[in-house]
Amino acid sequence: MTAKHYALGALVPRDVCVPETLDALAGALRACHAGGSAAVLFGGGTLQGLGHLPERYDLAIDCTRLHGVIEHEPRDLTIAVEAGCTLATLDAALAACGQFVPLDAPRPTRATVGGTLASGWLGPRRARYGRPRDFLIGTTVVLADGTVARAGGMVVKNVTGYDLSKLYVGSLGTLAAIARANFKTLPLPAVRRLAVAALPERTRDRTIAHLAAIDVEPAAALIVNGFNKTIEGIDGADGRLLLLLEGSGRAVDAATRDLRSALGAAGVPETRLLDSEAGPAFARILDAYIEPLGSRSCTYRSLGLITDTGRRLDSFVRVARSNKLALETIEDLCTGDVVARISTRTVAEFAPRATAFDAERRTALANARVLVAPEKLRADLDAWGAPPHSLPAMRALKNQFDPTGMLAPGRFVGGI
Amino acid sequence: MSAILRLHERLRDALGDDAVKTSPEDLAAYSFDAYSEDRLPDAAVLPKDARDVGILVRVARECGVPLVARGAGTGLCGGAVPIAGGIVVSFARMNRVLALDAQNRRVRVQPGVVNLNLSHIASEHGLFFGPDPSSQKTSTLGGNAATNAGGPHAFAYGSMSAHVLGLEYADAEGEIVQTSLDEPGYDLTGVLVGSEGTLGVLTALDLRLLRTPRAVRVCVAAFGDVEAASECVSAVVAAGIAATALEIMDRTIVRAVEAHYHAGYPQEAGAVLLVELAGQPGDVDASERAVASLAKEHGALAWRSAASARERDALWAARKGAAGALGRIAPNYYIQDATVPRTRLPQAIRHVEEIARTHALPVGNVFHAGDGNLHPLLIFDRRDKRQREAVVAAGHDILAACIELGGTISGEHGIGYEKRETLPLVFSPDDLATMQRLRDVFDPSRTFNPDKIFPRGAVCAEVREPAPTGGTT
Repeated sequence: MTAKHYALGALVPRDVCVPETLDALAGALRACHAGGSAAVLFGGGTLQGLGHLPERYDLAIDCTRLHGVIEHEPRDLTIAVEAGCTLATLDAALAACGQFVPLDAPRPTRATVGGTLASGWLGPRRARYGRPRDFLIGTTVVLADGTVARAGGMVVKNVTGYDLSKLYVGSLGTLAAIARANFKTLPLPAVRRLAVAALPERTRDRTIAHLAAIDVEPAAALIVNGFNKTIEGIDGADGRLLLLLEGSGRAVDAATRDLRSALGAAGVPETRLLDSEAGPAFARILDAYIEPLGSRSCTYRSLGLITDTGRRLDSFVRVARSNKLALETIEDLCTGDVVARISTRTVAEFAPRATAFDAERRTALANARVLVAPEKLRADLDAWGAPPHSLPAMRALKNQFDPTGMLAPGRFVGGI
Repeated sequence: MSAILRLHERLRDALGDDAVKTSPEDLAAYSFDAYSEDRLPDAAVLPKDARDVGILVRVARECGVPLVARGAGTGLCGGAVPIAGGIVVSFARMNRVLALDAQNRRVRVQPGVVNLNLSHIASEHGLFFGPDPSSQKTSTLGGNAATNAGGPHAFAYGSMSAHVLGLEYADAEGEIVQTSLDEPGYDLTGVLVGSEGTLGVLTALDLRLLRTPRAVRVCVAAFGDVEAASECVSAVVAAGIAATALEIMDRTIVRAVEAHYHAGYPQEAGAVLLVELAGQPGDVDASERAVASLAKEHGALAWRSAASARERDALWAARKGAAGALGRIAPNYYIQDATVPRTRLPQAIRHVEEIARTHALPVGNVFHAGDGNLHPLLIFDRRDKRQREAVVAAGHDILAACIELGGTISGEHGIGYEKRETLPLVFSPDDLATMQRLRDVFDPSRTFNPDKIFPRGAVCAEVREPAPTGGTT
């Protein structure tokens, strides 16, 4: 790979390093530290659209050659992998013995475990199963100065010293390089079913109310508008519902019956069920979160309360309309996420409208962050949304862990 | 005026007379937890809100004294003992549920809310709180968060860290800081949970609530020995059966429990396995059949399921009261807390029994088998010096054996004061120095709960007296 492959915005690194061992990774960081260079860590690069562009960028460290499965004891329901292991490799190793870790990130054949963790990725099944951080039972990292440090271990319950693994998850490579990740795993559900239903006009609110009233805990429940090329199903006037059921055959069948009658009562006439195709269809939903429409789209994600998704959705609709932008959305009924992709028909129209949209949304959608945007536009967008209350503590953390600011400087929240 | 009197005066001026306790009998009440060491604090303070806590931090910093946050004092590792004196903060007046949002299944509480009270309140909305340490009738949510407490249901629902969605804490400057998992940035919530009061003082917690399952069943299987019961647990876990708790008690514990609770555990068995299954009624039936058949394959001598909710509650009450029940028949006991990879449980139990034999101490085993989380209880008489020393040595040997098996030295109780010299057996100097970096950020002056978690530097050879009776597992 050439340095150009690792470009972020207009920044092209001077060098690329592809360590194959933990020692080599530590050596690369140590050399950077000594030489005053700034480094950006790369996994599969699928989520490099997150965050600000770095202030300085001398070296790309590509971790994809650190890709092994280190330890896997199926009977313990634990697995340890190197950070560059792809999600597809992890999934395959676990599926072979009927297990999984719900990391649920897009593009699993390219996305790496380290990158998924560092990006703080959150998938739609987290309300049911938990967040990636909740499955991470231990890490080995390399600090900015090359120090190798471990936290946690290979046991599923552990209060031995600080849980520093939590700190590295979502730090976007600004505190340390994740070299190894230990997970606890879950047994794979016996049956997986994706229910897809077009929502006729004015059925959205009734659908949500009826779904809340039945005793079904779906693995994921999304109302989608648009994303027609990627996500299964065809929109009704109120979009379409995609509901993932996971569990025993009996539980999934019972849930399907309850679901059908709830949807019928809500005025949704037809529900299509995908069984063998449910897995690939769910994977395509995840891909949609970061799928760009050439250089004429930008995707945001807003996190919040489930009861507040309607308000945030309306805000996206209003601000998109006022800036003449097409809008596609994924509203997550289980987690409260609202994902919104704005776009124009031509590339030329996009930049001015998107920057105006971004300025306007800072009040109504202060907490929305950018998932993916055209590289040329990134410098003009507010990648993280409003800074958190605890920003001073975060700055202090960065200064302590990376005093010379060599790990992706400026990339993080508040320009950390 | 002495420094201590000046401290008292500063505290009273800042927080009012009601909030500040300084009489010898008051101070004695805040001098210990369920660990054996005690030390009188210079003052005990009962703040009424976060603002008071912030003021308290500033006074402690100005006067150069430590601040030790205390929940209900049920911790077994001395985490709430003011080893270096200073101020103990009690949350007895900060014990309100601030807002329960049933639709979003979350609740904001003050740190002094008792764990079980939250589940009682949530149950009115068809919800419950996942972590249920055996101390849940008295232990507080603030203390649970500080130690990343688990309990039997951590097997299915995870420990505290999986349930804390955000925090409010007083930092080292006395500023009140809010954290939330929904905000961008470093996961401060995640590192504060389990930090044993060394990074800040929690003043409010946002917690996740879970939907009460439609059906719950509790079953009991009797086995010839602990090893067979452990093998059965490994098989259940490996088969992917969604049990919500898998708990083992050996004969010593069962007999102690039955003497007090009469819950109906089989006393003749070498070990009993308590299995809880929850979910949709049909699934629970199928799971029970699957577990019962695995139990039979692993030599179960008997199997029965609780016939009523009352019987189920009685089995749980007895299990959660196990340590206390042993305390009624043993002169003193010492609970250890360690975790091993689940498949190593039978080996770990063998080691525990060998170690107890070597040190000529009776031992009872009660443990969260599904998580590989052991709680051996060593029985001794604290009036006997040999037994006192033997129990410390045996405790250390058990931890070393668990580390050797790929495990660690605390699953849910924390390191506190008790295990801080053992921590270097688990982590390298670089690992520990990295943890200290975090502490340097949050508490550079070491005001918050000093002398906890981290070793003194050189390993100290002092013989410490182990925990007396008291505490739960």
